[in-house]
Amino acid sequence: MIKSLLRPFRLYLTQAWLSYNGRLAITSPFGYLASKLGFPFFLMLFFIFMGKFVGFTNPLYIVIGNVLLIPASSSMFGVTNAIGDERGWGTLSYILGSPAPRMPVFMGRAFFYILDGFVTAIIGFVIAVGIFHLDLSRINFAMLVLCIFLVAITSSGLGFLFGSISLVSRDGWIYLNTFLSALYILVGVNFPVESLPPVLQKVAFGLPLTRGILAARMALQGAGWSIIRQLVAGEVLVGAIYILAGFLCFRLIEKRSMASGTLDAM
Amino acid sequence: MKDIRWGLIKQQMLVQLHVRTLNLLSLGLFVIQPAVFTAVGMLLSHAAGNAMPDLVYTVIGGGIMGMWSGLVFSSTYDITGDRLYGTLELIVGSPTSLTTIEAIRTLTNVLAGVSSLGLAFLAALAIFGYSLKGINFWGAIVSLLLLLFAMWCIGIFLANFLAWSRLSGGFVDYIEMPIAFLCGFMYPIRVLPGWLQILSGAIPIRWALQAMNESLLGNHDWSFLVIHWAITIGISLVFIAITRCLQDKVHDSIRVSGELSSI
Repeated sequence: MIKSLLRPFRLYLTQAWLSYNGRLAITSPFGYLASKLGFPFFLMLFFIFMGKFVGFTNPLYIVIGNVLLIPASSSMFGVTNAIGDERGWGTLSYILGSPAPRMPVFMGRAFFYILDGFVTAIIGFVIAVGIFHLDLSRINFAMLVLCIFLVAITSSGLGFLFGSISLVSRDGWIYLNTFLSALYILVGVNFPVESLPPVLQKVAFGLPLTRGILAARMALQGAGWSIIRQLVAGEVLVGAIYILAGFLCFRLIEKRSMASGTLDAM
Repeated sequence: MKDIRWGLIKQQMLVQLHVRTLNLLSLGLFVIQPAVFTAVGMLLSHAAGNAMPDLVYTVIGGGIMGMWSGLVFSSTYDITGDRLYGTLELIVGSPTSLTTIEAIRTLTNVLAGVSSLGLAFLAALAIFGYSLKGINFWGAIVSLLLLLFAMWCIGIFLANFLAWSRLSGGFVDYIEMPIAFLCGFMYPIRVLPGWLQILSGAIPIRWALQAMNESLLGNHDWSFLVIHWAITIGISLVFIAITRCLQDKVHDSIRVSGELSSI
């Protein structure tokens, strides 16, 4: 009885570790750190100087936004690539042919990427303090940690959605890459969401991250639970919808491909 | 001229276009990514209270960004793809050198990237009302040609790292943003701190791009442009020389030790 109850948890953690280790074990420490921090750091510098040129006088706004995007992109890419790579390596059919429950197997893909993204974002904030003199004197640390975790978890829902696309297309990561670039505009990373045209503001609040990033910015200014709870609740709700949608989409595509026998042919 | 193998060039370019260049990834790199960067620039400008974005740096600069991203990814994935499909050994073992193949492929990638710049230019003209009045037309054309040449040289230089070692793939991928940031793809180089401007001086793209942007902004100072062009050519040739020197050594080593697959 206990064994059967614990089985999904064991599966979840085993899948989480195997998936993460399998993708990153061959990477050298330099490659690992560069992939985690290198690209976001230089992208952030690029946006900072772009902002400086056009007269955007608050570079720290860009710094904070880009650091907060790190856990989100880690979750999204991690999950999407973990599913996409199964296709690439020819192991997807074995997983889908096994009797293991899908929920722990595929949800487990996100676990270490969420942790990894969280740790990387914390390192990013330390670097931001050192290089950009980010003022943390008023920070509500507990709320900031909560927001970073939340952003990493809710964005994994997008990872599952794009991972589902990877089931039917070999170009899932390209779609995600394109979508991720849209996040530079939509979720308040480089400038306030209010600067967007009204239609795009509506789109922005229909996505995970927007409220989470806003709440994290407030936590950096010392805001407590009572101030950010609405934003956090909204982020949880939107994130849960995307995670559920991702999982349902995954199951639907899996069922259809099983029926037609076309999983690896597409 | 007799030594130039036009048939080889035509065939390689066609294969490159069909297999690597005209695909979904290129659409993202040449069209969507530049559009996103341009949008970020425009919205930052809007957030800063400007009525109109700077068309040369923000809109046309987005096209430069697309050209560069397209070049970096397509040129590096050429070798990665050959490794994956098992054709790298055949190319290295064939009488036509890998350098020649890479040079033609990179040229195709650079020329395909012009579409990104062209689209950005059209957007600046048609959507934002960019005026060609007062620009230094010939200065801009020569600078563009030298920019393509500089990108080609850097493209070959980077592409060969992948033949030298598969682990360098990651390193080459991370070159995209640092070069874009150092060369001022979407802002003038003067925005960077002095020490970064000195650092960026080692990259030929920076000089050609600066000359092109100045020409588009109406700079008719030919001595300024000629100096920038000369520096572009000089540094580009240095990159070519380094590439050839390293390549000869590595290729000799590969042939002697037979270790192409394991490095």
